[in-house]
Amino acid sequence: MTLVQDLPQVRGVKNIPIQEGFTSGHRTCQGCESALTMRLMIKAAGPRTIVVGSTGCMYVANTTYYSTPWVVPWMHTQLGSSGAAATGTAAGLASMMRKGKMKDEPINVIAFCGDGGGVDMGLAGISAALQHDEYNLLILCYDNESYANTDIQVSGSSPWGANSTFSPPGKVHRIMNKRWKKNTAPMLAAGHPSCRYVATACASYGLDFTNKIRRALTIGGPTFIHVIDPCPKGWDYDPKYSHELGMLAVETGLWVQYEIADGELTLSGPSRAIQSGVRQRKPVQEYLQRQGRFAHLNEEDLEFFQSRVDESWDEWWLPGVVPFKKPEE
Amino acid sequence: MSTVAVEVVYRGIFQKTLARNIVRSIVFAARKEGKYGTAFGRYGDSPERNGIPAKQFAIVADDAEELEENLAVYEAQEVDVTINVDDTMCKGIESWAWYGLQPINALTKAGGTLIVTSRQDVDSLIEDIHQKDQPYNISTVTSIPSFSGLWVYKDDHTDVRILGALAKVCPQLVSLESMVEAIQDQGWDDLKVRSAERTYDRTTMRPVEPGEGNQEEPFSFDLPGWTTMEEGIVIRGIEQGGGFRGGEEGYQPVRSSVFKKYSTRSMRPIVNFDTCIKCTLCWLQCPDTCFDVTPDGLYDANLESCCGCGVCEAVCPVADCVTMINEAEFNDNNSQYEMWQKDKDDYTQWMTSLIDKQKQVDRTHGFHHVGGYAEQIAEVAED
Repeated sequence: MTLVQDLPQVRGVKNIPIQEGFTSGHRTCQGCESALTMRLMIKAAGPRTIVVGSTGCMYVANTTYYSTPWVVPWMHTQLGSSGAAATGTAAGLASMMRKGKMKDEPINVIAFCGDGGGVDMGLAGISAALQHDEYNLLILCYDNESYANTDIQVSGSSPWGANSTFSPPGKVHRIMNKRWKKNTAPMLAAGHPSCRYVATACASYGLDFTNKIRRALTIGGPTFIHVIDPCPKGWDYDPKYSHELGMLAVETGLWVQYEIADGELTLSGPSRAIQSGVRQRKPVQEYLQRQGRFAHLNEEDLEFFQSRVDESWDEWWLPGVVPFKKPEE
Repeated sequence: MSTVAVEVVYRGIFQKTLARNIVRSIVFAARKEGKYGTAFGRYGDSPERNGIPAKQFAIVADDAEELEENLAVYEAQEVDVTINVDDTMCKGIESWAWYGLQPINALTKAGGTLIVTSRQDVDSLIEDIHQKDQPYNISTVTSIPSFSGLWVYKDDHTDVRILGALAKVCPQLVSLESMVEAIQDQGWDDLKVRSAERTYDRTTMRPVEPGEGNQEEPFSFDLPGWTTMEEGIVIRGIEQGGGFRGGEEGYQPVRSSVFKKYSTRSMRPIVNFDTCIKCTLCWLQCPDTCFDVTPDGLYDANLESCCGCGVCEAVCPVADCVTMINEAEFNDNNSQYEMWQKDKDDYTQWMTSLIDKQKQVDRTHGFHHVGGYAEQIAEVAED
């Protein structure tokens, strides 16, 4: 296995690397948190990185005709193929280096996908990539909870009740998306015992996110990070609240931040404070009522939503993470 | 035989429903008069992005054959009326499938009309609008730009007020009576009809002479064709950044040479360098890599990169240190840090006056909380 780069953990927000690998030239929405995810991701990874991106906002909006925001090499891959592309790129590099056609040096390979390309159609490919533990690579899923690029269709990651092009609330049926959001990261962690690192994060917590990227790139083998990205277009809110909604998602206990490194689960930031009882979860209503996609929910819906979140914290074996009920004492 | 074309230039997503209401109503009204019409969004603007300028069109013709003839072209080459529903786009637009800056009146016919929703006076709008070789007219609908989102529409009557103004400035399109019928047919209440009629009565036109307006050449560059692109259609990456303004200290990323965000934003941040505590949050949380790091560790908003989302204002822990100001207040994209260094007192005075002015008019960018739009509309109604 090729060695990994020396990417030490960053202590303090002021020590986050100053160099940019993702600048202007993209035309994402005002307040696009996914663009911020890309920017912080490449900041943490550094210049000796190859990025492969599957179809989605971060492909279409970033690299329209004759423009790119990327400083590092970037290539598009098909919707759903981030796993295959990541393995292929890492294997290709290893082979070129073995044959002496390239200088033997550790190069980070990151493949990103949206929730449509990752949680829905790319899941099988990601699963395969996580089994190939001879290659160092990171698959990053930026989750804006819909197919946002094509104007907000429901994905397996869309939350219950959310308005979307596929689930517009009507007079007779108010709730059209009746599916609960997939629990992707734990599924991948539990299903791939040889995968050494799986984490969840949010770019609103920039330092935590930076360190998770670095841990994923240095631990060795294939790794996976799932990031929640508030989307001003699909979630329908004033773009200036992108950062705040990311924080609210965590503070309400709806999005749980953790890392699973070599089988050991550690919650981070507010999620950890909630778990240890230092901090109370904020009512989920504070998060939902700030978004136009939930504007049609009534009291009963809000209560139901809250009860599902409560259940994940109070009744799950690993609170907020694994949906198995606690064994009887 | 006559065809009338109308374009609505709007901020993507924020004003998508508004634009759709306008172009659809035009066609409904035209059908009342036995004319043929169709309404459509420009293909190249889809999928839309929040705040990125986009266009929808309404084409009305006397008979079906004539309409088809006009629809055979991909996009109207000239229009009788251009409707601009956000006055900050008077500076020109960079839509996301079109590179370079396009003047807002680029498609407006000689003798045609540009309708703008604005609270500015006409002369200050003309200062921003690029000059044209032919005469045209300008007409304003007094209002704060109406912004909402994809799912919840802020019904502040901007749509019907524009329809009223349109009937006045372009009587050959449809009469006010047909417009009113079209409004009623869509199930909108009498209040909306009254808004349309009142705007019709109040609307006036101001002729704009050839050569009058902004004299600047709009930003443009050569678009390579497929034969002139690099092998494999490779696009060169952006260069590594370096010190602030090419110096040793600070940091400044290199930015795209083909896409400037000058017209993507409707607000821009203004920084108080004296009260900044260098916490890094505005820089760190900016999705657009907008802030240059100065040698003394301050953060200067680089306006080539800023799309005006306002996250920097939201995360800044110091009161009034980063403030979003209406883009219409500015006539250049100069560095604020350089202004501040040149004359700190002057800068502070200028900045304070802008912040005070901003506090008078609240420009909102969409959904804040359930019931928020109703409160905003009530405020406007009181004015």
